[in-house]
Parts: sequence; C-alpha cells; structure tokens
Amino acid sequence: MDELEFRRRIYADPEATDKEVVAAAKADESKRKFWNEQLQFDKQLRKAAKVDVPDDLANRLIWQQSANEFARYQKRSRWYIALAASVAFTVGIGFTMWYHQPISIGGQALAHMQYAQIEESHSLLPVNLDMVNAKLASFGARFDEMIGDVEVVNFCHLSTVRSLHLIVDTPQGKMSVFIVPERNDIRVPSEFNDQQFHGESIKMQHANIMVVGSKEADLGEMKNIITQRIQFSA
Amino acid sequence: MFARNRSGNSQVLSTMKAKQKRYEALIHAFHADIYRYAYWLVKDQSVAEDIVQETFLRAWRSLDALNDEQAAKSWLITILRRENARRFERKQLETVDIEDVQVHDDTQQADADVSDRELHRMLGGLSDEYREPLVLQLLFGFSGEEIATQLGLNKNTVMTRLFRARNQLRETLERQGENRGRANG
Repeated sequence: MDELEFRRRIYADPEATDKEVVAAAKADESKRKFWNEQLQFDKQLRKAAKVDVPDDLANRLIWQQSANEFARYQKRSRWYIALAASVAFTVGIGFTMWYHQPISIGGQALAHMQYAQIEESHSLLPVNLDMVNAKLASFGARFDEMIGDVEVVNFCHLSTVRSLHLIVDTPQGKMSVFIVPERNDIRVPSEFNDQQFHGESIKMQHANIMVVGSKEADLGEMKNIITQRIQFSA
Repeated sequence: MFARNRSGNSQVLSTMKAKQKRYEALIHAFHADIYRYAYWLVKDQSVAEDIVQETFLRAWRSLDALNDEQAAKSWLITILRRENARRFERKQLETVDIEDVQVHDDTQQADADVSDRELHRMLGGLSDEYREPLVLQLLFGFSGEEIATQLGLNKNTVMTRLFRARNQLRETLERQGENRGRANG
C-alpha cells in the first residue's frame, strides 16, 4: 500500500482495523508514526466536537414534553366538549325533525277505538244534525242529512291533531267516523287495521274522513253516505 | 362496571408511566450528543436547542417504534436533520458565523498545542458536506457504512468526504503553524 492510499484510509477512518492498513503500518515506521499522530489528533478533534451541553437541557426536554402533553390533553378536552356539544345539537335537531315528521293518523284512530266503545257523549242532549253540523263547522263542512244513528259526536285528539269523532250505530255494528283536518304534516293511510278493527279513509278537499268499524264490517256503505251528504263551504 | 373502568384507568396510567420512563431514559442517553450534533449542523447554540427540543417531542410521539439503541440513535439523527431542513424552508434564519465570532481567539493560544478552541473553530470552518459525516464519526462512532446509510450517500462518497475533512484540517493546522513560526521568527 503506497503512502497516499495509506493516508487516505487513515484520514477516512483513523480507527480502521482492516488487515491491509495494519500490515502496511507494521512494515513502515513512518506510516506508523503518521497513524499515531492522526489518532492523537482525532482524540483532540473528538474533544473539540464535544461542545458543552447547556445545563439542564435534559430536564428541560423532559419538562417541555410534559407541558406539551398537558396542552394536548387540554386541547383534547376541548375537543370532547365540542363533540358533546355537537352531539347534543344533532340530537336536538333530530328530535325536532322527528317531532315534526308527518303524523300517521291511522294507528292513532285504532288506538282511539279501544275506548270508543265506552265513550259517551259530552253533551246530555241527544245528538241531532244541528249539533253535528255545529261541530263540523270548524272543518268548514256540514252534512245535508244525518248519516245514521249518531250516538256520540266529540272532538278528540289523534296524536296532536284535533279531530271530530262520531260514533254511529249501523246495521254493521258501531262505526266511528273521524273528520281530520287536511294538513301537510298529517299522513292518512287509505287503509289500516289491527286485530279488532279496520279502517278506510276518504280524501276530500279540506279534510280527511276515516271510517273505522269492526273487522268484519263493510265500510263501503258508510263511506258512500258520507261522501254524498258532506258539503264543504268554499 | 366502574371497578373495571378504574382498573382500566390504572392500566393506562401505568402504561403512561412506563412510556415516560422510557422517554426519560432516551433523553438521558442521547440528548448530549444529539445536541452537539445539532450544534455542528447549525453552529448556533439556541437554534440547536430548538431543533433538539422539536426532535425529542417527535420522539415522544413515535416512542413505541424506537426499540433498540442503534435504531433510536439513527432515528433521532434523521428527525434532527429533517427539523433542520424544515427550519431552512421556513426562512433562512440569520445565524452568526462561528468564524466571525471567534477570530480573535487566536490570541489566547498559549503554546504549540492545538487548543480546543482552535479545533472548534476549524471544525466550524469546514464546509457542511465535510463536517457532517466527520461529526457523525466523532460523536457517535459511526462506521463509514452507517454514515452512508444515515445521510443517504454511498459509502465511497462518505469515505472521500471524511478523508478530505481531515486532510483540510491538517492543512489548516500546518498553515497556521507556518504563520505562527513566521510571526515568532
């Protein structure tokens, strides 16, 4: 190994231990001297490279991490609060929308039927056409003629909808007629039923009329009568 | 259910404690040489400290990935270099050149022995591409291969740069020796 190559190797890595370098050093006194000098120089270099480290740097590093973590934790808490607020907000909106969703009135009418059987007229007077029409007036409607043997005519609430409930005694058994105002948030199914009753509805200009009777009753006739006799004022 | 929750919490706590311990051990083991390395990268104490802080903060977030000592060391160096590069992207900070500050230190030179200060100044005077591999070798005892991996260079390039770095230092020393000789004579 020539002088230049030896210097290259030692300069690149004074702590080199590869055989060629060692052999070359053994064989040549001046190379050995150069190597020793360089090792000495490197020791000084290493010392020079080890600049003073600021006092307490380690502790400051540990501290800044805790502080940072704490700040992140706080931020995270805020994030949770924000999330909670947003959940509450969504629930609120959702509830409002649910509350305002169209009310399906058929089920309500069937539920109402459960106690329609024991329902009694609020008025002691026998029901006549005038009385029925007086109540129908609030729907802008009137009957030309009585629709049969009306036993009870009461306002009632199907869900939140104020309706007029007539109980009519017919050859098919007792039937209920509900007059429900026409509103955007009310859905009136054309047919509905449960174990005991079934109902059908008639859609009219300003109101929906539901006729509910027992399971086997034919509601057709009552529907016809109502359609023929009801009048809406313009 | 609450009891389970509490034991879950204490588990989280003890995991956190273990992590904290590991982190502190990491800091104690490496902060000094990492700081020195940063110092030689930027040649400014407070900037070096900033980069080191940022580096160790990142280390906390990736602590689970830092398994053995060698991996941790080289990971820290990689992050430090990245932080330093980012600093330059943000803006070219004005750093005081070490040569400007310590030029007058020559007068404190008492004897023929090369003083720490002089070597310090000489190291700072090396160009970055020579100084960086040299400092890695001096501080961390990295082999040529390890330096090459760390800096993303090939090994021959690294060996050449190391050679040139020391060669330059020796030449500077010799030139100074001559000057001093002339001044004294």
